[in-house]
Amino acid sequence: MKTAVLLSTSRHPVSGRPALARLESQAIGLATRLGGEIVGIHAGERTDATREALGVGLTSVECLEMPADADPVPALIERLQAEKFDLVLAGRRGQGGLDTGLVPYLIAKALDRPIIADAAAIEAGSEAGTIRVDQALKKGARRRITVRLPAIVTVHSLAPAPAVFAYGASRRGEIRSLAVAEHAQDAATWAERPYRNRPRLMRTAGVATGDASEKLHVQPDPQEAAKLILDYLERNGIRSF
Amino acid sequence: MSRPRRDPRAEREAKTVAVTARRRLDLAAFVSPSRRPRRDPRAELDVIEVFGAPRRRYDRTQTTALVSRMMKRAATQDAEPKAPQVRIVETPAFHVFAVLQTPKGRLSRFDRQILGAARMLADAGSGGGAVVALASAATADLGPAGADRILDLGDEPNRPASLRTEGVKAAVEQLQPKHILLAEDDESADLARRLAVTLGEPIMTDAVYLSAKQVARRKNGMRAEEYGEPPRIITLGEDRAANYSGAPCEARAIEDAPALDLNDPAILSVETIPGDPTQLSLSETDFVVSAGNGVTDIEVFKNLAKVMTATPGASRVICDAGLMPRSAQVGASGTVLSSECYLAFGIAGAPQHLQGIAGCDHVIAVNTDLHAKMVERSGLAIIQDAQLVMPALWQLIEERRGKA
Ligand SMILES: Cc1cc2nc3c(=O)[nH]c(=O)nc-3n(C[C@H](O)[C@H](O)[C@H](O)COP(=O)(O)OP(=O)(O)OC[C@H]3O[C@@H](n4cnc5c(N)ncnc54)[C@H](O)[C@@H]3O)c2cc1C
Ligand SMILES: Nc1ncnc2c1ncn2[C@@H]1O[C@H](COP(=O)(O)O)[C@@H](O)[C@H]1O
Repeated sequence: MKTAVLLSTSRHPVSGRPALARLESQAIGLATRLGGEIVGIHAGERTDATREALGVGLTSVECLEMPADADPVPALIERLQAEKFDLVLAGRRGQGGLDTGLVPYLIAKALDRPIIADAAAIEAGSEAGTIRVDQALKKGARRRITVRLPAIVTVHSLAPAPAVFAYGASRRGEIRSLAVAEHAQDAATWAERPYRNRPRLMRTAGVATGDASEKLHVQPDPQEAAKLILDYLERNGIRSF
Repeated sequence: MSRPRRDPRAEREAKTVAVTARRRLDLAAFVSPSRRPRRDPRAELDVIEVFGAPRRRYDRTQTTALVSRMMKRAATQDAEPKAPQVRIVETPAFHVFAVLQTPKGRLSRFDRQILGAARMLADAGSGGGAVVALASAATADLGPAGADRILDLGDEPNRPASLRTEGVKAAVEQLQPKHILLAEDDESADLARRLAVTLGEPIMTDAVYLSAKQVARRKNGMRAEEYGEPPRIITLGEDRAANYSGAPCEARAIEDAPALDLNDPAILSVETIPGDPTQLSLSETDFVVSAGNGVTDIEVFKNLAKVMTATPGASRVICDAGLMPRSAQVGASGTVLSSECYLAFGIAGAPQHLQGIAGCDHVIAVNTDLHAKMVERSGLAIIQDAQLVMPALWQLIEERRGKA
């Protein structure tokens, strides 16, 4: 099986220096667990972050060289069309760039491949040419989807923690630079301005329903108290026993 | 701000007593410039007084709710009883879609915010828009939360996201909404991006600011902001828009929902595995059962949490004593919860502890002290020994389970 892991131009959330996005290092971990041939693909400038990917499990990274502010999608599509990858892994969002999370979806559309979002685990399926993806849902739930390859999967932060960075491996690994054709740039959809802090709305307590007499019970019988608690849980749709 | 301006002439006019030829004013008559009924603090206190307590106690948690209820009652005492006014948009000028998640068939806080934002976009300018909630028709409270119409696409939990997108796309083609609002939250976020790519339209993701004229998001690791006119597809971050609080809307079901019967050849099987709350971390779970210094039999408490399929939590005192792990601590120096419900046994409710449960919608307190802060914060308070209530609760659950 041939897997490509997409490595974006990402920055460390605190220092702002180029760094490998955590989700992408988790994606490398998932790919390593699956086995087979794994290649990292990065569209953009070559930075220290590209080398970092070699230290957490990759042995080679292809760098599609282009200016940092160019649109990486056409180049990525071209590369993924030229070489047949069974599985393409990406982070669910970038880190420190545009962070729209649209890149994998645009690629999936262009290559006409199914895309599964928010994987917390990936295993080989029981049939050959299939994989089983555990999609992370709210409240610890998982959705297990069996999908036929080739496919694109985005990785959720609940995936296993990334491998520890190994300096020797990051020096040994190979970075190949590939030239890419120039693509016309679309005009920007949005205007830009400096960042401004916008606080979230305050979370306030939900509206407790009922009168004071309904909500306060002084010295009830323990059995009565238990019944009151269970009724309250059931009425508000928390648990029903 | 916009306090109504006083008009002395009109006020004098209102106070004029028509008796003699000479003008006479009744200066004792009160005319509120804002036409709001005047507050009566004594009556308000009477209403919130807790009866049966040995000394005077007021339940201040619901003051605003109660006062508004009281003022409404006072207003309706004069006027003849009116049926609650329902906002009806008969022929909408345009549609605004609100794609809801409705976990467990109920509106979540995020869902209400999405509806509130959709309502704002529908009423902006000359208004006349209708909010279409894309949710199951069985969901309660859609009308009061601001939905004019309900479009039920019959989504089951195991329907692959690609087919769900086809359903929404068909609805978009049918009703041509001006905006589609989604939550920037796992499945909705996935759906939004699929929709943007299939429709080939720009999308504003994870908006931090939304008004009818402008929408903005962060980029470059919070170093810059992108903004522009609201596009058709917008995903909104959590706690970025206020709920709708006006008159209830109609929430009429749209009958001719597009029916789709597709399947996705690439997806071979889908199976949903529910999470186990007893194993979850405090920040992920929906229901926490927590013990404080008033709980002496920790083993009973731990078993009870398991029986209730809840995540066990504790106050700092219990964690410091080594009775529960540090990871179970709720509060400012522990975990800030995002759970829906919190059941507190023997917890006083120190400010540092209450900070951790500020976001919980439902709080139940079991405490021997009627005046504990936790009792004031709760929606259901049981003034009783926790050591008696816990086994009774356990027993009752076992009984009900046995019957079922
Ligand atoms: C910097 C700082 C940070 C802190 N951070 C946290 C934090 O993150 N989380 C946290 O929890 N605390 C925190 N604290 C500690 C906090 O101030 C309180 O000391 C602590 O929360 C009290 O815990 P408690 O309510 O369990 O105990 P107590 O204050 O002892 O209250 C026990 C309660 O149990 C009731 N009770 C007694 N017997 C029974 C019975 N038989 N049945 C039922 N009820 C009974 C009592 O009436 C009382 O209300 C912090 C303190 C500081 C200074
Ligand atoms: N320039 C890029 N080169 C390679 N992969 C990218 C690039 N930009 C984004 N990606 C992939 O797409 C994911 C989502 O990025 P974004 O759409 O920018 O939020 C990232 O986690 C990467 O896996």
